[in-house]
Amino acid sequence: MKMENMSLSGLDNTKLEALAQDIYSDLVEDACLGLCFEVHRAVKQGYFFLDDTDQESMKDFEIVDQPGVDIFGQVYNQWKNKECVCPNCNRSIAASRFAPHLEKCLGMGRNSSRIANRRIASSNNTNNKSESDQEDNDDVNDNDWSYGSEKKAKKRKSDKNPNSPRRSKSLKHKNGELSSSVNTDPYKYNYNTGINYETLGPDELRSLLTTQCGVISEHTKKMCTRSQRCPQHTDQQRRAVRVFLLGLSATSLPDSNTAVESDGYDASDGQVLMSRLQWDGSSDISPSDSASSKASTNNSDSKKPKKKKKTSLNSTGGGGGGSGSVGGSSSQGCLAGQANRKKPKLPVPPAPSIYDNLN
Amino acid sequence: MNVVSVMSPAGCSHVNAYKVDNWRPNLRVIYQCFVWSGSAETRRRKAKSCICHMCGAHLNRLHSCLYCVFFGCFTKKHIHEHAKNKRHNLAIDLLYGGIYCFVCQDYIYDKDMEQIAKEEQRKAWKLQGVGEKYSTWEPTKRELDLLRHNPKRRKMTTNCTIGLRGLINLGNTCFMNCIVQALTHTPLLRDFFLSDRHKCEMQSNSCLVCEMSQLFQEFYSGHRSPHIPFRLLHLVWTHARHLAGYEQQDAHEFLIAALDVLHRHCKGDTTNDNGKKANNPNHCNCIIDQIFTGGLQSDVTCQVCHGVSTTIDPFWDISLDLPGSSTPFWPLSPGGDGGTVNGESHLSGATTLTDCLRRFTRPEHLGSSAKIKCGGCHSYQESTKQLTMKKLPIVACFHLKRFEHSAKLRRKITTYVSFPLELDMTPFMASRWASTNYLPPGLYVLVRYALFAVVNHQGTLESGHYTSFIRQHKDQWFKCDDAIITKASIKDVLDSEGYLLFYHKQFLEYE
Repeated sequence: MKMENMSLSGLDNTKLEALAQDIYSDLVEDACLGLCFEVHRAVKQGYFFLDDTDQESMKDFEIVDQPGVDIFGQVYNQWKNKECVCPNCNRSIAASRFAPHLEKCLGMGRNSSRIANRRIASSNNTNNKSESDQEDNDDVNDNDWSYGSEKKAKKRKSDKNPNSPRRSKSLKHKNGELSSSVNTDPYKYNYNTGINYETLGPDELRSLLTTQCGVISEHTKKMCTRSQRCPQHTDQQRRAVRVFLLGLSATSLPDSNTAVESDGYDASDGQVLMSRLQWDGSSDISPSDSASSKASTNNSDSKKPKKKKKTSLNSTGGGGGGSGSVGGSSSQGCLAGQANRKKPKLPVPPAPSIYDNLN
Repeated sequence: MNVVSVMSPAGCSHVNAYKVDNWRPNLRVIYQCFVWSGSAETRRRKAKSCICHMCGAHLNRLHSCLYCVFFGCFTKKHIHEHAKNKRHNLAIDLLYGGIYCFVCQDYIYDKDMEQIAKEEQRKAWKLQGVGEKYSTWEPTKRELDLLRHNPKRRKMTTNCTIGLRGLINLGNTCFMNCIVQALTHTPLLRDFFLSDRHKCEMQSNSCLVCEMSQLFQEFYSGHRSPHIPFRLLHLVWTHARHLAGYEQQDAHEFLIAALDVLHRHCKGDTTNDNGKKANNPNHCNCIIDQIFTGGLQSDVTCQVCHGVSTTIDPFWDISLDLPGSSTPFWPLSPGGDGGTVNGESHLSGATTLTDCLRRFTRPEHLGSSAKIKCGGCHSYQESTKQLTMKKLPIVACFHLKRFEHSAKLRRKITTYVSFPLELDMTPFMASRWASTNYLPPGLYVLVRYALFAVVNHQGTLESGHYTSFIRQHKDQWFKCDDAIITKASIKDVLDSEGYLLFYHKQFLEYE
């Protein structure tokens, strides 16, 4: 087909059809040729055979879809006698009992000897009550009742997900009942000593708010002295009281997430006000702190163990600071840490490429 | 076509006569001008000058002589004539760039020449604005040798059980088993581990990523008996102590903890393009981050001056409140305003996943008790807050908050929430288009997600059992109940209650 300059106008339909047909068949031919080259190359380079399988043995792997058997054609519930070797003690354990065994083996269980040893060791401790009774484990860890007391000797049970289908602890009910009675009759409830915020200076307030709930009761005008996870008040309330009492000093709110500045970098503000994390690489937030997963309605349990701020992305609990941590907000906000705001505008994080080094 | 024997190379010795002097740049020029014409100018030149010198044909598998300026068509054997007459025994196909040797009478594949061809092709694509194109995997010589010596091969056809395996319950560990099933059926994660891309840097034997890799080996081994994930349990309890303890646990909590540990242990794999290690541990590019990490944008708007303060936080999952919880659910009426957007079933006003997402991304008035200090107004003002997706992860995990654990209530919310097989995330994105329903053409395609795993919980808050549905081979679903894997229908999946929903982006873009 010789190439020549042709004007398409003035051609009747049949000629146009013929042209189109020609072009189409050329394209198809080229495509077929391309495929031929691919196969030719695969054969010549020696990788054409890679697709081959042993047909007979492949039959062994066909999916079975019959009642009473699984996809491998096996009857259910024949796996009762599986065993495994515990990596900790090297004993052979029945697989279905491995989890309870491992718990004891690692000394994490309720009845493990480690707990018992600790019990013995702490029998001379002044804090006798907290250690000696397993049943009060939760109560102790919550430590809701004492003003300024140290948080969480054991983090395990107290880091529960408020949204998890855990077995209920009767103590939790107790806490709930007690707290709900506070509002009606604050003076009967002698654990709530109640702090009058007006008498405290900013430093005292700041340190107080790192360990306590601090929400100001409308009845008594006093600050709640329970833990930062106290179920009576919401995270939103806790945040609000901090903002109210301390302005926007970031250090008072290890996990607060209220963004406060309007857009526009206020460079003249020497202090970092309510710093938020920039997700441009300098973030301290671990996605495991994702507030959407922590957002709760009334319970602000933080489930992550507290770690130092300087560690990597997984620094949970929003970084060090308070021993208690204000969990997610009731409005599903994000947790903030304590990084500095670097830029006024947030850069778009680059989409990572999975196929970067693939070939 | 006979299968060429193993010993003869794909190239030929006749190219050696060509590979002298300045052959490389010469060959480049031929590729640039006559084969992969990248620029408009070269395309025009090719169209005009590339015709058979003997018959004027423009197509007919035109070839160019490598030794001189001669174009001849292959079909009419005009290039063959030229080769014989001039003893120029190499020619190049102008359509696909293949090199033909007239002595061997076949197309040959020379490594050096192919290298040049590939480079020039890439350059041309760039010029044409095509960008990168996917090229299939080719085994190296060593890999070919290995494969030849090990001919026993398993091919994953649509009717194949390979990739599916049961998991023994180690004592209330169904929550872990479900998450393992979801992770082992995450396509990108599977590809990462099966292509052996984890380089372990941990000294001890306690790397969770290595254990994950081992898990994939177990799943693809073809074994039919269920796997006993005791090592996995031990490792997770060692590295996420807050989870340890034999009692019923939450699958969602386990997922986050597992991702966290995997992410921490991925250090050896986080290198950027220069091969240097990423210095900043917070800006990780490990496979977990690449697949699961999204960005959640939070905009707080001052009600007085309307200044907006924006922050973005990373997330691995989105937890959604449900109707029936003690939070006020929504002002949106279920089924109202475009409720069939994602083709979800609307059984007389059933809540949909889209409804939950809409509620999640609605502007929320923060109230007078939570005034914020506005930098614009320099005083405390009321504000509204809105969450949107700034960066969508490749795998989006939605967590329906069915377990309520407040001081007053402890219960499981069993409200049926209908979720779709395919999800369009556009309305929930942090772009100015989200609210106006206008989308530039092409953008729609980028945000479609496909369901591939569902984790369900049966029972009460105090005691229950987790099972999962996972997808294999496009539209085949399987139910995973610890050690028992059975085939499931799409209807089974969509009718289930849903606790954790895993969606995978349908189209991936190159960076």
